[in-house]
Amino acid sequence: MAWLFVITTVLAVVASAVAVIWLYGKFGMPKAVAGLAFMGIAGIGGLGPLIFKKESGKVTCDERDTLINRRAALAGFGTAYMLVGAVCMVPFFVLGPLGSISVTWLPMIFMGAGICTFFAHSVAILLQYGWRGKNGK
Amino acid sequence: MANSELKNQIRRLRFENGEMTQQQLAERAGVTRQTIIAIEAGKYAPSLTLAFRIAHAFSVTIDQVFQYEEEKLQD
Repeated sequence: MAWLFVITTVLAVVASAVAVIWLYGKFGMPKAVAGLAFMGIAGIGGLGPLIFKKESGKVTCDERDTLINRRAALAGFGTAYMLVGAVCMVPFFVLGPLGSISVTWLPMIFMGAGICTFFAHSVAILLQYGWRGKNGK
Repeated sequence: MANSELKNQIRRLRFENGEMTQQQLAERAGVTRQTIIAIEAGKYAPSLTLAFRIAHAFSVTIDQVFQYEEEKLQD
């Protein structure tokens, strides 16, 4: 399921970036922001539990899975914290203490942090299971 | 500086218990087969509760399944 999250997240980010760049070249801002609609692709990841159904009567999650998930969540939030920190500090150093940025960046930073958490969480799960997933030896 | 490692006899005990499969042991211990694979390979140190459950699955004591080894490394 982590693979599905990684693939949908990457697809969403790439498709959105391409759309925003293309729309920016054609219509300029703020219409280019409409390209972010492709972030909806990441929502396909939410269908994971429906696609990968649990087998009844079989243990599908134990203490190791819980530990891996907890570590992955920490990695996800840690990465998002670093990203938000960097995004907050870069304008300060680039524009200076008297500079200003548009408030439209704020929801984008919020969304970016969410995507980053989601992505880093999934990658951390894959790394801990060794890329081949739970079924790999 | 000390480096600690948890050794286990799961593989040997499985074969001594009628060539028990990893899946059978997993079912008895109430975990996934992947967790048994990870423990057997020394990649995951189980909780005390799980260690007891594994020992009970083999009807042996916990120290017959797991051995704690501390290696002293020279700096």
